[in-house]
Amino acid sequence: MSDNLLELRSVSKNYGKTQALEELSLALPKGSLVVLLGPAGAGKTTTLRLVAGLESPTKGSVWLEGQDVTKWQPNQRNIAMVFDNLALYPNRTGYENIAFPMHLARVPKADIERRVSAIADQLRISHILGRVPATFSGGERQRVALGRAMVREPKMFLLDEPLSSLDFMLRIELRTELKRLQKDVGKTFLYATPDYTEALALGDMVCVILKGSVRQLAPAQTLYDRPADRDVARFVGNPPINLVRGELDRVDGRASIRFGNVALPLSPEAERNLPSGVKQVEVGIRPENVVVQRQANAGAALGRISDVEPLGMHTAVEVDFQGAGLTATIAGEREFEENQPVSVNILSETMIFFDLVTGKRIGA
Amino acid sequence: MPPKKFTWYNGIGLTLALIFALFPVFWMVSTSFKPSNEWVKQPPVWISGNATVENYLTILWPSVLLEKRGGLTQYTEEGEQKVAETTGVGGAVGDILIKSAWQAIWGSIIISVFATALSIIVGLMAALSISRYRFGGNTTPFFILSGRMFPPIAIAIPFVVMFSDVGATDTYWGLILAYAAVTVPFSTWMLKSFIDDLPKEIEEAAMMDGLSRWMAHVKITIPLIKGGIIATTLFILILNWSEFLFALILTYTKVATIPVQLAKYFSATEGALYGVQAALATVSIVPLVIIGFFIQKHLVRGLTLGAIKR
Repeated sequence: MSDNLLELRSVSKNYGKTQALEELSLALPKGSLVVLLGPAGAGKTTTLRLVAGLESPTKGSVWLEGQDVTKWQPNQRNIAMVFDNLALYPNRTGYENIAFPMHLARVPKADIERRVSAIADQLRISHILGRVPATFSGGERQRVALGRAMVREPKMFLLDEPLSSLDFMLRIELRTELKRLQKDVGKTFLYATPDYTEALALGDMVCVILKGSVRQLAPAQTLYDRPADRDVARFVGNPPINLVRGELDRVDGRASIRFGNVALPLSPEAERNLPSGVKQVEVGIRPENVVVQRQANAGAALGRISDVEPLGMHTAVEVDFQGAGLTATIAGEREFEENQPVSVNILSETMIFFDLVTGKRIGA
Repeated sequence: MPPKKFTWYNGIGLTLALIFALFPVFWMVSTSFKPSNEWVKQPPVWISGNATVENYLTILWPSVLLEKRGGLTQYTEEGEQKVAETTGVGGAVGDILIKSAWQAIWGSIIISVFATALSIIVGLMAALSISRYRFGGNTTPFFILSGRMFPPIAIAIPFVVMFSDVGATDTYWGLILAYAAVTVPFSTWMLKSFIDDLPKEIEEAAMMDGLSRWMAHVKITIPLIKGGIIATTLFILILNWSEFLFALILTYTKVATIPVQLAKYFSATEGALYGVQAALATVSIVPLVIIGFFIQKHLVRGLTLGAIKR
């Protein structure tokens, strides 16, 4: 026995010949907020639907509070879900939408009224309770859908890209609100999103799903600093991580890494992480760790700026090294021009190494 | 769609279309009040100067008509039957005049209503299972439709053989089953398109909220496609109401429907009794017009939402 609220045990799901999930295992401790992060089609929605009981797994089992619920119907599981498209009842008012689960549970009318108005206050939607969903704005629909999930006392919440249809400011606001809500009610949340900033902002733990299987389950920052493999590294971060193929040179106990016409020295700490047999690796360098300078520095690589893209707070610059290119983000005030010769420094401690064949991260 | 401006050429077009659509109805109603010598007169009589209700009496209360004409035709208490001593409207004699069309009117009502209800219930279940659970994969929906892919006469003969074997000919339930079987492909496909248009997450949300699959369909799906169900019901009802071939070959004397009865108003000396037929046809459209009037709101919405999308 464990105190995991939800467990998926090597769950596979096939739709005809396409495999949506492959041997996916995942455990959620009680009271945690886990974010499922992955691009469209990775299997996030399928995972949520399996937990909800709207789909049944081809193989594997779903456990809820230590019970095998694989064969249970959705209404027997007592899980609340907010759908991707919100799925409000179009013929019912805001009040009736939120009250519906309690109405089904035969809660006395006075209790329903009290609870709905409390939730409506919390979500600041009291003014729209008498209207039907067609008259709501996007944010109001979102909140009503949340309210319908929160009005019950479910074992856990499933949220499928619940903020995707909202504009930027509202998304930030509701994201913060959601996190606060989760802390307040102390319930277990499983939250699916394709947006890594949202995942980093929300989750205690982030579970990266790619092509139907879990690639990494880790705290948000770990995901960024120490991705499990190349694909995770590529998916997390914007602008995306630089991935270059490098040759490892070890001469006289001093190691350096070469790519294009660049040779960068490796610190002893960085070198110790690489097994001795390794000759070629894929090097991952986050754009913010690429230090670009106007004047030529001793020991730095020389290149040319090939593109400058302002990002507001930062500027993304492309540096070309004859055969290898790197993206760097630099603080906004510095100005570079295209074709300008620059020197580049990269701290070897910030480099992430991946196996060329498997794509797995090498080292601790 | 933005509202269109009404222009004079629109007006002319609409008027022409309206005349084209309504002229047969006008002619039917007009003929139903004409005495027999005006039915096929040249030049045609548009609106009779000698309007009469004899055509209606012939189908609804024939004994009244015959008494009026001096020929008494009645069933005596012993069951003995006197032959009409005078000819009825348009020279019709005998059986046609003694029997009113009430049997056919009731027959049409009973058979159409029950067959439509059966067709909608079966069609709705089939549509739900195909649309939501992909029952039967890709082939079943087309298999269901295949019954409509050849002329009805091709399946009519086997129907007669099968129905005779099980004693279903000339019975209400037999014709109800036959009509339901023939219209289920339509109801299934029409209802399926309405269900396809409804996001399945709405039902799933209801399941998460505590309803079983079945109750989610009953409480959520069906109310949300109400307009579609009503439109489909009217469509199937019209099909059943106007069906002729199956009614003709599957009934003899105990059961009749209006379309079959219409064909019986034919006299040896005068040919088709147009005035009587027009009277019965006029009577037969009354229920549909009334129903159509009451459900018009749903019908318009239902037909624009879903029926032809996708």
